[in-house]
Amino acid sequence: MTAEILPVDQTLPGAPPPGRLARTLAEKPLLVLSASLVVLILVTGLIQPSYLTFSGLRNTLLLAAPLAIMAAGQTILLLTGGIDLSVAIIATGAAYVAGNQSPNGAAIAIVLGLMVGVLAGFVNGVGVGVFRVNPLIMTLAMSAILLGLFTWLAQTVLTGSTSVAQFIETVGGGSFFGNRIPWSVLVWAAVALLILWIQHRTGLGRVIYAVGDNPVAVRLSGVRTWRVHVVVYTLCGILAALAGILLAGRTGAVDLQLAQAFLLPSIAAAVIGGTSIFGGVGSYSGTILGALILSVLSQMLTFLSVGQAVQQIVYGLIVLALSWAYARVTAAQ
Amino acid sequence: MTATAPPITTSRGINWQRLRRRHGWTIGVWLLLAVLIGWYTTLVPNFGSFQVASILKNSQPLIYLAIGQAVIVITGGIDLSVGAMMLLANSTAAVLMDGQPLWLCLLVGLGIVLAAALLNGTVGWVINVSRVPDIVVTLAMSFVLSGLALTVLPSPGGGTAPGFRFIFTGSETGTGEVFWPALVMIIIPTVLVALFLRWTRSGLSLYATGSDRNAAYLSGVSTARAKIVSYGIGGAMAALAGLATVAITGTGDPRYSVGANATLNSVAAIVLGGIALTGGIGSVVGVVAAAVVLFFLSPILSAMRIDPNTAQIIQGALIVLVMMVAGLVELRRRRSQ
Repeated sequence: MTAEILPVDQTLPGAPPPGRLARTLAEKPLLVLSASLVVLILVTGLIQPSYLTFSGLRNTLLLAAPLAIMAAGQTILLLTGGIDLSVAIIATGAAYVAGNQSPNGAAIAIVLGLMVGVLAGFVNGVGVGVFRVNPLIMTLAMSAILLGLFTWLAQTVLTGSTSVAQFIETVGGGSFFGNRIPWSVLVWAAVALLILWIQHRTGLGRVIYAVGDNPVAVRLSGVRTWRVHVVVYTLCGILAALAGILLAGRTGAVDLQLAQAFLLPSIAAAVIGGTSIFGGVGSYSGTILGALILSVLSQMLTFLSVGQAVQQIVYGLIVLALSWAYARVTAAQ
Repeated sequence: MTATAPPITTSRGINWQRLRRRHGWTIGVWLLLAVLIGWYTTLVPNFGSFQVASILKNSQPLIYLAIGQAVIVITGGIDLSVGAMMLLANSTAAVLMDGQPLWLCLLVGLGIVLAAALLNGTVGWVINVSRVPDIVVTLAMSFVLSGLALTVLPSPGGGTAPGFRFIFTGSETGTGEVFWPALVMIIIPTVLVALFLRWTRSGLSLYATGSDRNAAYLSGVSTARAKIVSYGIGGAMAALAGLATVAITGTGDPRYSVGANATLNSVAAIVLGGIALTGGIGSVVGVVAAAVVLFFLSPILSAMRIDPNTAQIIQGALIVLVMMVAGLVELRRRRSQ
C-alpha cells in the first residue's frame, strides 16, 4: 500500500491528541473486534434468549469453522497481494469428489477431495506467479472452468454422489464433550495453529508478508517470488477443499450451490479482521474473529426472521459499518 | 529549418509506431473481435442482420457494465457491486414500467439512471471518507443492493412497454432483424464516456487520480471529486445495463447469481480491454470490443455444437490464455526497453 499523505479527516489542526483509550485501541485492533463480537453475541442473545446456551453457540461454531478455514487461505493470499475468487467452486468440487469416493472409505475420499484443491490451487499459482496473470482474472477464469467441469461431471461421472461417508458427516457436523463442541472446531484449531505458525515462525511466512509489502524489493533480494505464489495458491486451494469437505459433512448432501454463499464472506472475514487487501498487513488471528463475527451475524439475522432480502441488506450494512469503524480506529495511530 | 536539424515527424501521415505504442492493445482487441466475427460467419449457415441484431443487443448489458467498471478502475477503484446495481435497476424498472405507456417508461428509466448515479456516487464518497478499501465497501454494497432488488421484486416478473424494448433491441418483442437501435444505444454511451474521459478537465482528473493519487492531490486535483464522479458514472452505466436487461428479456430477474456473474464478467472485460487494474491506464473503446468478444464466445461455441458446460470451460481457459500471452508480450516489451 502506498503511503497515504492525503489529509482526509483525523489530522485536523485543532483536534485534541488521541486519548489513551484511542491509542490502546489503535495499537490492539483485535480488542475492537473482540468487543464487537461480544456485543453481537449479546444482541443475538437478546433477540433469541436460547442462543446463549451451548447448543446455540455450537451452531455458530459449526457455521464458522468452514468459513474460517476458507478465509485462512484467503488471508494468506491477501497478505501476498493476491486474492482467490475460485475458493467456493474448489470447495464444491472437493465435496463432490469426496462424496463420490465415499464408498471407498473416508480416508481415500478426503485425500482425493483435497487433491481437487491441490490441482486447482497449483494451476492458479502457476498462472499468477509464472505467467503474471492478474489474480482476479486468473481465479475468476478458474472458477468458470471448474464450474463447467463439475456441472458436466455431476451429470456424468459423479452422478449419485450426493452424500458423504459417515466419518466425514461426523467431523463436519457432529460434536463431542456432551454434544457441546463440534468436531470441525478441532480441524479449524489445527488449521489455525498451522497458519499462525507459518505466518509468524517460518521463513515462508516472512516472505509472504514481504511479497505483499514490496514484491520488487523481494525479487531483487533473490527470492523466487513465483514459487511463493505457487505455494500460497496451492495452500489456499487445499484449505478451500478442506472447508468444502467439512461443509458437505455438515449438510450431509452435495450440490453445485454448496459453497457458493461462502465466497464473499471468506474475503469479508479476512478484511474485517484487519488484513489489508493491498498485501503485507494483517494476521490470521484477526480473520478468526472476522469469521466468528460474520457467523454470529448471520445467525442473528436468521433469528430475526425477516426474510432473505432484508437479511442481505442488514448483512451488507453491518459489514460496511464494521470495516469503517475498524479503519477509523486503526487510522488514529 | 536547416539541413542539419533532426528529422521532425510531420503531421502528415500516420505515426504508426506511436499509434501502436499507445493504442496497440485497443487495436488488438478490435482485430480479435473482427477475426471472431469472420469466423462466426463461416460457422452459421446464413449470417445476416438477425445474427448481428442478436449479438449487438445481447452484449449490451456487459458493454455498459464494462464501461462503468472501466471508468471506476481508471480512477483507481474497483466496484464489485455493479452486477447488484444492475439487478436493482432491472427489478425496479420491471416493477414500475409494467403496463405503462412509453413516455412514462422513458421517464422511469431516466429516473433510475440518475438515482443509481447518485447512490453509487454516495458509495464513492463513503470510500473516500472511510478509507476502507474499494473492494470491501463495494462487496458490502453488493449485498445491500441485491437485497434491495429482492425487496423490490421478490420473484422474476414485471414488464415494460413494447416501445421501450424497441429502443434497446430494435424490436417490440425483443427479437428481430433491425440492428441499428442496439448499435446506436451502444455507440452513444461509449462516445459520451470516451469524450468525457479524454477531452474534459474532469475526465482527465480521473486518469490523474488513478495513476498517482498523491501526486494528483498535491497538484490540486480534487481526488475526492474524481472518486465520486467515477462511481457515479459507474452506477449510471450499471443502471443502463439493468434497463437493457428489462428491454431484452421483457421481465425483471432479481437472482443474486445473475448479478455476481455480471460483476465478474465486467472485471474480465476491462482487463481484456486493456485497462490496468492498478488504475490510470486504458480506454473505454477497447473495453467495448472486449465485452463483445467475451459475450461472443458463447454463440460461437454453441454454433460449433459444443455443449454449454464444455463451452464454459473453454471460455475460462481462453481468458487465461489471452491474459498469459498478454503478460508474456508485456514482459518482453519491458525487457527490450
